[in-house]
This record gives sequence, structure tokens and C-alpha cells, in this order.
Amino acid sequence: MMAKKMVTLRIDGRDIGVPKGTTILEAARKLDIRIPTLCYHEALTPYGGCRLCLVEVTRNGVTQIVSSCGYEVADGIEVKTETDMVLEIRRFVIELLLTEAPEAKVLKDLALEMGVKAPKRFKARNELCIACGQCIRACREIVGVSAIDFAKRGYEKKAASPFFERSQECIGCGTCFTICPTGAITLKDLAEGEKTVLPDGIEVTGPARIIDNWKVGLEMKRCKQCGEPFAPQFQLEYFTKKVKLPEDFFDVCMQCRAL
Amino acid sequence: MKVSNRKDLEKLKREGMASLFPGTIKIMVGMATCCLAKGSDRVMNALENEIKKRGLKASVVPVGCIGLCYKEPTIEVIQPGKPKVTYGEITPDKVPQIVEAIAQGGVKREWVLYRTDREKLLLNGGAHAYCSGKISVLFKGPHEYSDIPFFKKQLKIVLRNSGYINPESIEEYVARGGYFSLLKALTKMKPEEVISEVTRAGLRGRSGGGFPTGVKWLSCSKAEGKKKYIICNISEGDPGIGMHKSLLESDPHSILEGLIIGAYAIGAKEGYIYISSGYALGVKRMEKAIKGAKIYGFLGKNILNSGFDFTVKVKEGGGAYVCGEETALIKSIEGEWGEPRQRPPYPAESGLWGKPTVINNVETLANIPVIITRGARWFSSIGSEKSKGTKVFSLVGEVNRVGLIEVPMGITLKEIIYDIGGGIPKGKALKAVQAGGPAGGCIPKKLINLPVDYESLAQVGSAMSSGGLIVMDGKTCMVDVNKYFLSFLEGESCGKCTPCRVGVRRMREIITDICEGKGKREDVPLLERMARLIKEGALCNLGKTAPNPILASLRYFRDEYLVHIRDRKCPAGVCRPIRTRSIGK
Repeated sequence: MMAKKMVTLRIDGRDIGVPKGTTILEAARKLDIRIPTLCYHEALTPYGGCRLCLVEVTRNGVTQIVSSCGYEVADGIEVKTETDMVLEIRRFVIELLLTEAPEAKVLKDLALEMGVKAPKRFKARNELCIACGQCIRACREIVGVSAIDFAKRGYEKKAASPFFERSQECIGCGTCFTICPTGAITLKDLAEGEKTVLPDGIEVTGPARIIDNWKVGLEMKRCKQCGEPFAPQFQLEYFTKKVKLPEDFFDVCMQCRAL
Repeated sequence: MKVSNRKDLEKLKREGMASLFPGTIKIMVGMATCCLAKGSDRVMNALENEIKKRGLKASVVPVGCIGLCYKEPTIEVIQPGKPKVTYGEITPDKVPQIVEAIAQGGVKREWVLYRTDREKLLLNGGAHAYCSGKISVLFKGPHEYSDIPFFKKQLKIVLRNSGYINPESIEEYVARGGYFSLLKALTKMKPEEVISEVTRAGLRGRSGGGFPTGVKWLSCSKAEGKKKYIICNISEGDPGIGMHKSLLESDPHSILEGLIIGAYAIGAKEGYIYISSGYALGVKRMEKAIKGAKIYGFLGKNILNSGFDFTVKVKEGGGAYVCGEETALIKSIEGEWGEPRQRPPYPAESGLWGKPTVINNVETLANIPVIITRGARWFSSIGSEKSKGTKVFSLVGEVNRVGLIEVPMGITLKEIIYDIGGGIPKGKALKAVQAGGPAGGCIPKKLINLPVDYESLAQVGSAMSSGGLIVMDGKTCMVDVNKYFLSFLEGESCGKCTPCRVGVRRMREIITDICEGKGKREDVPLLERMARLIKEGALCNLGKTAPNPILASLRYFRDEYLVHIRDRKCPAGVCRPIRTRSIGK
């Protein structure tokens, strides 16, 4: 493979050469410069929505405030990651999000780090989803399922299953649950005999995996050897089909297989 | 029949002329959405029936909008050898009397707005004379078109055909000089010469920031890649205005011709016309225009025998305001969420499906054929130093003559409101003019001598945007108006970035509190801080301009906010809970 073209830029007064296609955020991290992020995840396509990773960029004499996560470096640009304006906007973003999800740990931590207090002028909404879209991108780009997407727009925008009904596509892998920075997604594995009623009225009996946000309750498959439930049946069927595995491939759980 | 040279085009022009100015009586009815809303279709039916009943040899044809919204429905009557007569506020019950007068070779004077003796033909040069020699005394009463205050200070370049031609007749468009610019560009000019002509004309994008069109074209033409796209943006979303809609419905070919010339200039073989939802009539007329242009060979392969190929598709949007933003518009065409993304990369480098793309506003494109035919020097002689040409405005609100107008840049607000618009109804005092809608700002009465151009409007905290001008009198509450704009923006925010999604919402909550008499002392500085940070921190121009209306009103009408907060009173008597309370006392 041919080596990528190198690009030289200056970040906070320090010069650095990085391969073409690198983002400012990635370049800054190489220099151990901390830029806070919320909607960014190194495994996902940058989104640029939360506006926490803003930096000041001067390119061809024009200075702009941009999100560093999605800005590809160019030769000769000068980046400042901590101008007064940048810091003030970051604090403002945290203030705004604290009126949405004051209980989210990630926001409390960032607030503490930046010395931000929740504004008293507004009544807290207590909506944990901050529309960062990490769950949606993870489901699409990592899992390859696209079971969820944004629904509605503006202030009402949030990640949802189609028409807010039970997702037909969700395989219950839990990637969304793991990646969500604010804990807005709840995943629960029902134990044997445990019962719950899904929002659309369907009763589910454990062992099953419940993800409230997408209104799914997926029956778990039991291992033929140890008898323990180990993964949603639907998920295993999906993988079997997707990678063309033998039908009985998932009859045995990973632990029994390893033995 | 494919048009392959000048001779063919001239032949088409003659056909169009015969239809534009027939040797018989012709009655034209304004049939754009604005006219239809006032019942022009019923007037047209009544005219057809009445003419049939009398066995009169006359044709009744639909035309676009002439901009006289305050006098809709309007009709225009051509009688051979006599001045053209324009009637206003015509209802079906007035039709028999008008037809009676026409049958006798006269006019129904009471309802006449004005007469036209000669009609200028912008692209052909010269004028069409409706009458020569002595004008019958019957026609002398009403004023001539050029003396009508509503039109006197207007200059119609973009709207050159609006209301004059049947929007569904390509022949009539050609008769008024249409597609001759395309012929000139394709057969006599190199792409770079077209770009240079547009650059020298000083044409700037007719919505948003007013970016020079020639520069945009040049950067796209220089961008690497064989495949390029050109897109026409017809998605004005500003509440209560309809310039783009009117142009689309009245003269679709002017947009199409501009688009084809642009495509040739940048080297695009495919184009899109992106039309917001709710423009059903416009979509229908544009589809028909494309069909006609294909038949005559203005679209397709080897256009006008020049070797240039170009096809175009209409793409209907879902109607979101944010889809007027170019990166969101591209996403919408790609079938994705209409969400903006960060620029750079600019669409000129990486746009639709990652290919270099030019997105031009509909009004910008309608100027192109005129620049090609009349030349950069002529075009740049109109307007102010940095803003060349004209601008179309929806003049609405508390003004006597509400309408769709086109004025040379640099004209003052005062001339627009008082000379063209006829001032405020009942002689009331002007309070402010809101320009640029949700992205603009109000301009107080004291600045009424402000010339209307990009720089001057921006300087006072307003904006050209797509061209809404809302005239406000003393019974308008500036806080309430801004509550309206913020509510609009709150609903139209795509929700992608935090400052716009949450910030605009919180600002709207504050302003609602102020209107309801629950404002707090610290609210005004808080609003100012939020506005400043949203402007800097938001992702796209919807968010970045969202605070404009509120910043402008705080600049000029700060006292009104303070009275609401301190005295719990609405000086204009608009904000309800406050007003009710004061009555209760």
C-alpha cells in the first residue's frame, strides 16, 4: 500500500505532520491535547452535532469555529483548541445539555471539569437522550442492522424505532446500550419465569432480553449442553444467515464450546 | 421538432409572437397560486362561459402573477390596435359587464387599474406597441402602466415574463427572447467565458449570504472529477412569503434556461430542480417546461447542435425549512435526513454523491439568461456598488399595496414602503420593517432611508435572505413577533446540533415568559448571551442566523422588552395574559 500523503498543520502553536484524511481531533489527540467530546466515537463516522469539540481554525486567512471531529486537516491550517470563544461555547453546550439531562453522569463530570453549573433559569426536562446519535450510527455502521434512526426533528428529535413501534429488525445485541454516553438506553435480561409486558401489550416471559427504547423483547436461546440461555434467538439466526454458518452452529454456547 | 440553429429558434419565436399578440381579442387571467387563492379560476370559467354565450371571437388564457396581490384577481385584456387594459379585483359577477364592454370595443372603466400602450421587451430589445397613433378617448382615462406608482420604481428582470406569458407555453417564452441566451452561450461562448461574464456582471446569490455566483461556478468548474452536478434550490421556507413559488409558477423556463447555461459553464451533465413541498402547481409547470424543452432540444443530447448534453430531474422535498441550506438539501436529494453537515468540504468540491456540485437559488438562475443576452456591463450598471441587479421582494404586512415586487438594489426602504407600497393603511405610522424573515431582523422607522442591499441590511443586523419584507405599524408588539419567529425556528430546527436544538428552544421559553408577564430582570442579558453563543456555535446557517431577529429587536426595541418585564405590560396591547390583567384592574 502506498503511504498516504502527509499534511502539516499547527495546533496550539505546535507543528504536527499527519496523513491526509486525519481529522483535527485525531491530530490533537496525537499531541495529547484534550478536546472534550460527546457525540464522537472513534469507531463511528463523525457527526458534529454536540458542538463540544469545537476549535478555531484559520485557513487561507479565514478564521472559523468548527467541530474538530469531522474537520479533515489541510496543509498550513492553524488550530487553536482553547480560545475564549471556544471555551465559552463548550460551557454553553454543557449548560444547555444540563437542562435536558441533569442526572447524566457524563454531563456532571464534564460540568465539573469545566466549572459549569446547571442554569437555574430553566426547568429541567429530564430526558436522557441528548440526540448524539451514537446508538444509531453504531447500529448502522458496526452492527449493520439499522434497526433505529432519529425520529422527529428539532427539540423533539430522539433515537427511536420506526414509528415508535416494536422494532422488527433489532437483534438485541446491546451495542446501542453499551455505546450510549448518557445511559438513555435500558437493556435488561429477564430471568427464567420472569414476566414483563411490552408497550404494545405483548407479554414476554424470561429468559428474554428487553430493550425498552426500541420496545423489543427477544426470546433467549438455551445452550444444548449447559442449558443456560446465552443470546437472543433472533440475533443468532441473523448471524447464521449473514455469515452463512451451519444451522446448528449456535446450538452450543461460547463457554461450552471453549471447553 | 428539434431546434438546432438560430433559424429554427426564430421560427419558434414567430409562433410565440402570434400567440402573445394575436390579431383577435385576448383575455389573460392571473393563475398563479396567489391569484387562484383569490378565486381567479372562477373568474376564468366565468369569462369562458360569457364569451361562449355571446359567440365572441376571443381567447381566454392563463398567465402568471404580475405582482398586484392587493388587487387580485386581475385580468388583462388585449384588443387589437388598442391599449392593453388591466382590471383588478374581478369577481365572476363582474364578468358579464366587462365582456359586454369588450364586445363593444370599449372598457369597463370602474374596474380598470391601468392601461398599457407599449410593453418593453427586456431581452428582445425595443418594445411591443399595443396601439399606434391617437388613443381612443375611451381608453384615455386610466393611467398608463409607466405612471402607476406601484410599478414606477420597479425594474423587472427576474420577473420579466411573470404575468405576461402563459407559463405553460414554451413558444411564448421564446417570443420574449427566451432560449436565445442559451443559443448564444452554447454556440458562441466557451464555458469559461460564460463564467467570466457572470462574474463581471457582479451577480450574487439571491438568498443567504450573497456569495458571488461566478466565483462559485469557477471553483466547481475547476474542481477535480468528471461528473458534476448543478442544482436549483427552490425551497424558500420563510413563513408568509412566496417569491420563489410565484416565479416558478409564472415563468419556469427562465429558471430552466439559467440552469442549463450554468450546467454548461461548470461542465455538469445532470441537474436537479429541488422544489419544496406544497408547490404542486409549480412542480406541474416545471415538469411541463422540462418536457417542452426536451421536445425542442433545449435539454437532452447535443443541445442546439452544440455537442453539449444535459438532463434535469425535479426532486420534491418534504418542506423542511432547513432543506434550503445547501448541505441539507443535498442530503435530502440523496434520500437521507435533511440534516446539514459542516463545510468545508464545500459542495463545489464535494457535493451531491460526493461530486462537485453547484447549488443556485432560483432567483439567481433566472438572472443568468439576461446577463448572457444583455451583457455584464449592462447588468452591473443596475444596483449599488457591491450589490448588482435587482431583488424580488414579497411586500407584506401593514402596507397599502401588498405585492410581489422587483426593485433595483440600492433603492431605499422608504421608496419601497411609501412609493411602491403606498404607505401604511389609514395613514398610520410605521413602526418597523422586518426583512429576511427568521434569518433577518427588524429595521426601525428611523433607518427607513437605508438602501436595500446585502451590506447595508447586514450592517443594521438584518438580512436580505430570500426577500420577505414585513411592514409593521404601532399595533405590532416586537416581543410577540420574535416569539413567533423563535417558535418557527424551534419547529424547523433539524435538531442535529445542541445550540440550535436546545438553545433556540430555551430562548423561546424565555420570550414566552416575557410575553406572559413572567419575565425576569436577568432575561434580557441572558437572551443576548445565548444569542451570541448560538450564532457562533451552531452548525449551519439556520442555527447561526436564528438569533438575528431577537438581537435586532433587542438593539432597536429594548425598551419594549423592559416594559414587559418591569411593568408587566405590553405597550402594543398584543401579549394576552398581560393585557387581560390590565383590563381587569
